[in-house]
Amino acid sequence: MEKKELTQQQSLALINTMIHKARESYGDTGRDSIMWGVVITICSLVKFCEIQFGFKLPFDIYLLTIVAAIFQVVMAIKDGKKSKVKKYDDAFLSPAWIGFGVCIGLLIHIINLLYINYMPMYNEYVNVTGHKPAFNLGEYITPLFLMLYGLPTFITGMGCNFKPMLIGSIICWLCCIITVYTNYKADLLLTALSAIVAWFIPGLWMLSTYKKHKKSQEVLNV
Amino acid sequence: MFKALDPILHSQLRLAVVSLLISVKEAEFTYLKEKTGATAGNLSVQLGKLKDAGYIDIHKQFKDNYPLTLCKITKKGVDAFEQYVKALQTYMKPDATE
Repeated sequence: MEKKELTQQQSLALINTMIHKARESYGDTGRDSIMWGVVITICSLVKFCEIQFGFKLPFDIYLLTIVAAIFQVVMAIKDGKKSKVKKYDDAFLSPAWIGFGVCIGLLIHIINLLYINYMPMYNEYVNVTGHKPAFNLGEYITPLFLMLYGLPTFITGMGCNFKPMLIGSIICWLCCIITVYTNYKADLLLTALSAIVAWFIPGLWMLSTYKKHKKSQEVLNV
Repeated sequence: MFKALDPILHSQLRLAVVSLLISVKEAEFTYLKEKTGATAGNLSVQLGKLKDAGYIDIHKQFKDNYPLTLCKITKKGVDAFEQYVKALQTYMKPDATE
């Protein structure tokens, strides 16, 4: 960059260019959002198909989430090493999503403990009465997950003024209320819907914005 | 009435650096060098001037055994940038020349 006297127009153009360059460097590609949207949708739909069509995969499809989580951690470490800037958003986005991951892990652990205690009682009830109890614990698990899915999505949507995620978070919470009253099969379909609306579509939106921005920068640089 | 433009900011490289730093919380020296296209020597001198004016903070540390220089805009820098943009806007208004 040469040392020269700036006119007012040149000053404004320079400010504009630099702000655009900064934005381009930290623009989110939506990779994680798309990945989680796809993973949760696949898990929910495969589980739904298992129940609907009466087959069983040799492994639990939800193990896919562990693979996705490991991939995300590895990529986050890689990105962190490469990154030369810290964004203002990082101050609240990272804690919100890390906290979300911890809460999901804790919830899974608590649910497993509940099932360990619940299943013997359930089996005993079926043996004694010959029919299933009216209360089915499984039908109350999905709303808990959907409630959690909505929280970091809402924080991201509000904090970054990103409407697709804000709408996605509201849909998660609406589905959360609905799934309290629906059966497990419907719960799975609503979980898939929530993942698509809250993560997959906003992720594609971010990717498209990122690509457009990169293209416009290339044109400016020519 | 024209507002005087801040001489610290009214320089191509210093203005470029402050415009970059206003958009991020913290940036590495290499990032600023890459985005502005300046030479390391020139950038160091201009960063020093911005630091002396109290517009930026420069923090030096080590990362993987390599020296790392981090730059961050200060409150004074943000205020000066805002004043600079306001002053520029007075020049751009059509009635400003009357």
